[in-house]
Amino acid sequence: MNFKPLDPLLHSELRLAVMSLLIASEEAEFSYIKEQTGATAGNLSVQIDKLSTAGYIEVEKTFKGKKPCTLCRITAEGHTAFENYVKALRTYLRVK
Amino acid sequence: METIENNELTAERSLEIITQQIEQSRKAVSKSTGQSLYVAGISMMAMSIVIALTIYLTESSLGHLLWFVLPLVIWLAQKNNKEREHAPVSLIGSLVGKTWWTFATFTLLFFLITIIWNAVAARLYAPDVFVHIQIKVTPVIVLLMGMTVTITGHILRSRWLVAFGIIAGIGTFLWEWLDIGETLFMFLAGASPANLGIRAPILPCLTFLLFAFFGLALPGYMLKRKSL
Repeated sequence: MNFKPLDPLLHSELRLAVMSLLIASEEAEFSYIKEQTGATAGNLSVQIDKLSTAGYIEVEKTFKGKKPCTLCRITAEGHTAFENYVKALRTYLRVK
Repeated sequence: METIENNELTAERSLEIITQQIEQSRKAVSKSTGQSLYVAGISMMAMSIVIALTIYLTESSLGHLLWFVLPLVIWLAQKNNKEREHAPVSLIGSLVGKTWWTFATFTLLFFLITIIWNAVAARLYAPDVFVHIQIKVTPVIVLLMGMTVTITGHILRSRWLVAFGIIAGIGTFLWEWLDIGETLFMFLAGASPANLGIRAPILPCLTFLLFAFFGLALPGYMLKRKSL
């Protein structure tokens, strides 16, 4: 059996959760991602930064009324990386 | 809530995380849509009562023009929807939104065209002819609304929302088309078609009230409870 290598950037619980949330959405707020993953703001911020540096997601700092709001959305590169990750995962799970 | 940390993981755990997060995202959209349907249903029920009272007190069917205020009432009521505020922007959410915008556009235009057509026809034709050529607004609108609820149910993959859409849409369409409300009213009030008078224009309000409860408020409440 030929195992494909898993993208190390995505092979981490929190980063994978963030990418999975974003793959199902066009964009999501930082507070929503924090609520869904149960991660701390600091930890989530670091992981989002890593994904953003890799070009997998884009982060937009904006305002919702008077409140600051951070929006995250997946990029085309992120889509491809996620797709490849799932394809590689199938080889480990022996799914055709 | 299970906290997700950034540690290494197995292939099975990876799959579990992906499935779990996609499902959570879908639930967030369902919950937000449920809340919107619930708020729209309650607003429409309240509006039906207000319009019925207006028609009764003013003895004029012009009270039906107040239906144009309904989108504004729903918009104001939705403004403080916390679930909607935090729901992610997704393709499913956009599809549901666009489906309802299509319904709103068709309904408002149809309503306007009908008002103009019926007003012109009432002046041009004799009452016995007008009865046959007038366009009945209520059955068409409840049918359109039932279709929209059903399509929303299909998008959200909620079988019972589909069922509620069909039952409420077809049910209230038949209720209006077969004049069940009028027959029931005449039976209960001991009135005849001739002396229904100003009470006749109130009857569509009852149809909309029924639809708002069975087609919007009840399934909306169930949808948001199920998605908790």
